[in-house]
Amino acid sequence: MRKILRLIRKDLLVEFRERRSLFIVLSFAISTTLSSAIASAGTSLGAWERAILLWIIILFAGIIGLAHSFTREEERGTSLFLRLSSPPAFVFFSKLIFNICFFAVLEAVIVSAFVFFHEGDVPSPFIFITIILGGGFALSSGATVLSAIAAKSAMRGALFAVISFPVLLPVLIAAIRATALCFERHDISAASEMIFFLAFSGALISISYLIFPHIWNNE
Amino acid sequence: MKHIARLIHIAMPVSIVLAFCYAPTAEVHGEAGRLLFFHVPLAWTATIGFLVAGALSIAFLLRGRDSHEITARFSAEIGLFFTVLATASGSIWSKLSWGSFWNWDPRQTSIIILMLIYLAYFSLNASLKGNEGRGKITSAYLIIAMASLPFLIAVFPRVFGSLHPHSGSLVADVPTRLTLIASLAAFTLLYLQILSIRQRIHHFEFSRQADDQKLQ
Repeated sequence: MRKILRLIRKDLLVEFRERRSLFIVLSFAISTTLSSAIASAGTSLGAWERAILLWIIILFAGIIGLAHSFTREEERGTSLFLRLSSPPAFVFFSKLIFNICFFAVLEAVIVSAFVFFHEGDVPSPFIFITIILGGGFALSSGATVLSAIAAKSAMRGALFAVISFPVLLPVLIAAIRATALCFERHDISAASEMIFFLAFSGALISISYLIFPHIWNNE
Repeated sequence: MKHIARLIHIAMPVSIVLAFCYAPTAEVHGEAGRLLFFHVPLAWTATIGFLVAGALSIAFLLRGRDSHEITARFSAEIGLFFTVLATASGSIWSKLSWGSFWNWDPRQTSIIILMLIYLAYFSLNASLKGNEGRGKITSAYLIIAMASLPFLIAVFPRVFGSLHPHSGSLVADVPTRLTLIASLAAFTLLYLQILSIRQRIHHFEFSRQADDQKLQ
């Protein structure tokens, strides 16, 4: 556990020392949220339209944000040192925890900006936040191993979007449906959606843990 | 496998004759109902192609035999080809029965996602050209994609209502059921035949490259 924490600390230090990628991702998130708000200014969007817009922004900002944790290791050649110094399971879990935290920060920025600029009530805010965090957890746990796959290939950024979209689609659909219900009504239960998100994350994390050594140590 | 696949030369003509001459005209769909004997086996073969590719990918990661990875890739290629055909035949049937080519039916949507997964798999394969670990990485991707499929099947019926007929309602009578079974068998043999031809082509290409290297 201590080794995993040390690896997370390393990722956080690199992230905050540069701040470049964090700023770019946050700027992308804010500019897309603002663009959608400006484009639809004056028209009141329905619950489903708002939910679709919100999750598309989250997904694409997330794809840009999550891609860089493994890509950075490959581009700088530090993956070799990481491979020598830490077992694959530790690397996987440290990147997974880092990505989940990164995604939560990203969601906080996007959701605040989205709720602020897009007019419309959120009748069940607590359930809304639970679904946003649950969906983010499921998306980042699925995307971690996919970012490790994309980092090994040419044209990493575009390829990450291509390979992650079909895999993450079940979470996206479930999250859009649940968010639209949150925008529409106040008497809803998030239990079934949360079970779905947890089951998806559990399955993807277990499979990723089993196959990650094959991806990581393939040279 | 090569010899079993050769049965296709008998099975395919028999299943076509059965579909057009033996099976009765469908009550609801009329003559268009005969599309059942081609559309369902196409979707079935696409699923077999995908499952075989997935199973061989797992075997490749466990045992590391290159032949598993190559066969998995060929199986996925055939699967993609049949997925496109199943989508096309399904949309023609959809137009005839429901009035539009696309209805966002759960099964229609599932097959289009399957197509997206295949396309992503081949994009990944192409972008890893020259990478020694290509087999392992593409196999890993296919396993992850397979793991997410049950969730897709679970989530779709909650969002989209199905227009697809229940399987039992279309094959109530014995001649229709027999014809469908014959078509399923014929298309499975077609899959095996294409797979065996694809493997032979690969074998010839491989041995020719080896000969060229010897000559040089």
